Amino acid sequence: MPSAEITLDLTPVDAPPSKRRGRWRTIGVLVVLALAVLALLSQGLLHSLNYFETIPQAMGSRAKLGTETIRLEGVVKRHSISRTSSGASFEMTGGGKAVFVNAHGSPPQLFQANIPVVVVGHFTNSTSDSFYGTQILVKHTASYIAAHPKRVKAPNGTVR
Amino acid sequence: MMKLLSQRLLGPVTLVLLALTFWLGLWVTPPDKVQGNLARLLYVHPAVAWVALYLSFGTATIASALYLWKRSRSVVMDRVAHCAMEVSLVFIILTLITGSIWGRPAWGVWWAWDARLTSTAILGVFAVGYLALRRANDDFELQARRSAVVAILAAINVPIIHFSVQWWKTLHQGASVFTPGGNFKVHGIMLTTLFISLAAFTLLFFWLLRERYRVEVLREERQRVSLDEALAQRRREGVH
Repeated sequence: MPSAEITLDLTPVDAPPSKRRGRWRTIGVLVVLALAVLALLSQGLLHSLNYFETIPQAMGSRAKLGTETIRLEGVVKRHSISRTSSGASFEMTGGGKAVFVNAHGSPPQLFQANIPVVVVGHFTNSTSDSFYGTQILVKHTASYIAAHPKRVKAPNGTVR
Repeated sequence: MMKLLSQRLLGPVTLVLLALTFWLGLWVTPPDKVQGNLARLLYVHPAVAWVALYLSFGTATIASALYLWKRSRSVVMDRVAHCAMEVSLVFIILTLITGSIWGRPAWGVWWAWDARLTSTAILGVFAVGYLALRRANDDFELQARRSAVVAILAAINVPIIHFSVQWWKTLHQGASVFTPGGNFKVHGIMLTTLFISLAAFTLLFFWLLRERYRVEVLREERQRVSLDEALAQRRREGVH
């Protein structure tokens, strides 16, 4: 005779997941993964594998480019920066060629003479050396050098 | 004995090296000539990326290959691959976050769709896909095999990320340490601190991997015990 205290749990339980359900979930994950990778590829690599054009490249295809928006890379020429009410204008050099840039918007913190920059914008016309920029990006180099390498520490701890 | 000692010392040595990195990076090293104090991120971002792309993703890939190799189907290798991939995902996210924090004041933008950044984001998506795939199927053998294949396929992206700054024109800077010419572009104590940070984050990876592995073993153990208990309970019910 079974004890009255023992109660059998007869509530229905979920069936173990079938192989078919697992297969659909796997296919779903793979499809989402493929779509995400394709979206990133189309956004980044396929549209602009090379992030910018150099000045000689842009000058070489200026007629073809017309006033199409591009990213133009060059080095900011020394003593050429002048701050304007809407941004900054400066000369940018690269590969022995120079372009005059009139950029709108505030330049990044590191913007200065002799630094490589990428300017987003377009030539004012298909024969001009003048470039209208809507955004300045600073492309800093891979070199890291102390700001004041010859500074020494005095015995009292101060830096001179 | 040596194994026990290294196990006990791993955590404290990691913490000491991390503390040393932050002390040198924040107080001892000079500001950079061009970037000023922004360059202090040099002691965090490359080390985090080193762990994300090479150490943890590399570990996950090698363990996955060893799992598939000659049908060894080693549970240990599958577990190592799974744990290393989780660590990798965390560090890929940290790489992208620290890169953005650096990029905003240096470049002027939080994000740029250049080859280096985009390919790193793709690796992050692969890591998420790997972990999602492991949860998609309840059949252990199947999930281990499929995720191992995904890890090996995704690893093709790692050399693409590494060489992207050489192959294409990117906004991201080129190599400062592992340069094609083999020369260092970081000077003096800045270079020393960079190497200490690489060592600290390398140890941090092994520490995290070891702890995550231990948690995984405990989780599996608990799952097995609960199953055994449930079976025993059913048997007891059957006897009565």
